Amino acid sequence: METYEQIDAHQTQSSSSSSSSIDSNNYPSSLCLSSVYRNSSSSRNRTDLSTDLKLGLSISPSSQSQLPREETCDWPPINKSILRSTLAEKQRPSLFVKVYMEGIPIGRKLNLLEHHSYDGLIKALCHMFRTTILCPNSQPLNSWNFHVLTYEDQEGDWMMVGDVPWEMFLSSVKRLKITRANSC
Amino acid sequence: MQQQQKVAALSYSFPEEVLEHVFSFIDSTKDRGSISLVCKSWYEIERWCRRRVFVGNCYAITPAMVIKRFPKVRSITLKGKPHFADFNLVPEGWGGYVCPWIKAMAVAFPCLEEIKLKRMVISDDCLDLIAKSFKNFKVLVLISCEGFTTDGLASIAANCRNLRELDLRESEVEDICGHWLSHFPDSYTSLVSLNISCLANEVNFPALERLVSRCPNMHTLRLNRAAPLDKLANLLRGAPQLVELGTGAYTSEMRPEVFTNLAAAFSGCKQMKGLSGFWDVLPSYLPAVYPVCSRLTSLNLSYATIQSPDLIKLVGQCQSLQRLWVLDYIEDAGLDMLAASCKDLRELRVFPSDPFGLEANVALTEQGLVSVSEGCPKLHSVLYFCRQMTNAALNTIARNRPNMTRFRLCIIEPRTPDYLTLQSLDSGFGAIVEHCKDLQRLSLSGLLTDRVFEHIGTYAKKLEMLSVAFAGDSDLGLHHVLSGCDNLRKLEIRDCPFGDKALLANAAKLETMRSLWMSSCSVSYGACKLLGQKLPRLNVEVIDERGPPNLRPDSNPVEKLYIYRTISGPRLDMPGYVWTMEDDSAYLE
Repeated sequence: METYEQIDAHQTQSSSSSSSSIDSNNYPSSLCLSSVYRNSSSSRNRTDLSTDLKLGLSISPSSQSQLPREETCDWPPINKSILRSTLAEKQRPSLFVKVYMEGIPIGRKLNLLEHHSYDGLIKALCHMFRTTILCPNSQPLNSWNFHVLTYEDQEGDWMMVGDVPWEMFLSSVKRLKITRANSC
Repeated sequence: MQQQQKVAALSYSFPEEVLEHVFSFIDSTKDRGSISLVCKSWYEIERWCRRRVFVGNCYAITPAMVIKRFPKVRSITLKGKPHFADFNLVPEGWGGYVCPWIKAMAVAFPCLEEIKLKRMVISDDCLDLIAKSFKNFKVLVLISCEGFTTDGLASIAANCRNLRELDLRESEVEDICGHWLSHFPDSYTSLVSLNISCLANEVNFPALERLVSRCPNMHTLRLNRAAPLDKLANLLRGAPQLVELGTGAYTSEMRPEVFTNLAAAFSGCKQMKGLSGFWDVLPSYLPAVYPVCSRLTSLNLSYATIQSPDLIKLVGQCQSLQRLWVLDYIEDAGLDMLAASCKDLRELRVFPSDPFGLEANVALTEQGLVSVSEGCPKLHSVLYFCRQMTNAALNTIARNRPNMTRFRLCIIEPRTPDYLTLQSLDSGFGAIVEHCKDLQRLSLSGLLTDRVFEHIGTYAKKLEMLSVAFAGDSDLGLHHVLSGCDNLRKLEIRDCPFGDKALLANAAKLETMRSLWMSSCSVSYGACKLLGQKLPRLNVEVIDERGPPNLRPDSNPVEKLYIYRTISGPRLDMPGYVWTMEDDSAYLE
């Protein structure tokens, strides 16, 4: 059980977010964060974002942004391209939350900063739990066969995912739960 | 005696054309060199039909000398900076400029077809000159080169109608414009191999797709990190004949159709033998490559930052592997699996994922390497970064794999002893050189005394390249190496207490070697001057960024020292921090 969870944590940790498909258009962005987010095209920017978030909110990046040491380091003897890719990996910010699904005893971890929108997150969860989850902005056709995604916010209340802009969601989510559409 | 005369008479009776034809079957430059030493006439015949020239140090000879001796060269390989430049030990602007070579060859070798450079500086103007001077130019390989931009590449693309290979491996290219690829004319179809893995920006993808699909003989394509995964499937469908593929970033927003398209495209690649790339890899997409895995002989996962279980799943699919490069995320468990399943493995490189961390971030120890040495009978080339080692492990590895030819071990923390006995690793590395009789390349690390160099001098008779860091205790160590290793050609040393005595006592040995690098050692400026005077066929270059070394006492150690054999005298393109110790340095004082 523990191993399973770990494997998945690694899996999500090492996956990346493509900065090209940023989609927060569905929501009027009320946070100044979102503009940083939308403009972010390099990992440095994304690191900046997470640092910003950390200042005001309760998100912790996996490691602080650090200047590449490759310019000064001559030991151990590693060629620059490998050094670059491993350093870039370290600089990737992360925001891990636990995800549970009703009826499955094992929780899994997910890096929310690897996703840019609710759509991306829900696709990833559908894949991870091999199920269909209703998108927040679509109407339930037949709620019998679908799952919905809920989250626990900082106050401990369970809310429907999609109720606030993505950036605000990032700042308030504590954990996620996938539940049957008809049970909530 | 009579027999010899007969043979000699016979060879004289051969017409030159016949000998030329016979020589044409001999490719190795070493063998060609031997042929030219047989007699004057063979020397003459050989030099007129030599098509390939290898220059291991661009400052060892002048372009004019090469042109004079080999007037009909079609392919040239040139190497520039010292190997330690790869690890930031050679200051910026040191040299290795290829321009004088290109200018001379543009006039002398209009039929030149191949230029392969390593650790050299090449400008856009030079690339332009290449593009316009050689009418049948086919191969441009720039490994770890710098000084050029995508504009220079655009010129190559626009003018070299017969270009077969463009390889920019590990080069630092200023990436101005992704559109350079569209400079390949629409009628151009001869590309066989393209490696753009070092480029920072996304290339013009439609142009790349058109290029790949109209070159029917394309067998190698290595993309860069900026190449998006969701476009890979389409690219592959246009080139199912590919043998080597380097993916770009191997991630995207999770979309089932990306995966299915990719898996289908890989299924169509029936010739695929090598995979690399996999930047930012998302493990859930890896099963897409499973269809080609059983055929793979080469897998480079050195950019794939994924954890042991995912690596094990992937590597477990690749039972025909001959070469695996991987990060230490593979851990001992992964190497155990590799040992059990990849019986054809010849080369293994394991790189550190957290080279500057103080604590181990992965479960990778000496045991992983021991397993592979036991399980893979053909293993002969190893580069292994780890944090702990024992003499017992090295001994086992040496006995398991006497066929080892390249053994590079880097224990990340300098001067780390055998963690079980707290002894030096002298006897472990001693076992490696004693048992691996064909060892050509060796890199040492860990706690080592002069004893290890005694072993090396005694046993490593075929060793050609030795890298040493943070090792030894006195001149005796270096003396053992220089006096014992008969075949040594390149020696690179950093942070070792080796000084004047060993160097001066073995000065003549340096003339038999290509180069010696010593940085942060104990060689005095006085000894450098003496070497330069005693051995006019050596260039003795002192690299000191603190300012002119003659302003300090002669007994002061120099920062860095690079000595190489040359027949062209001191170079003229030295930056301000390099001083060459010439014959006349005596009266400069």
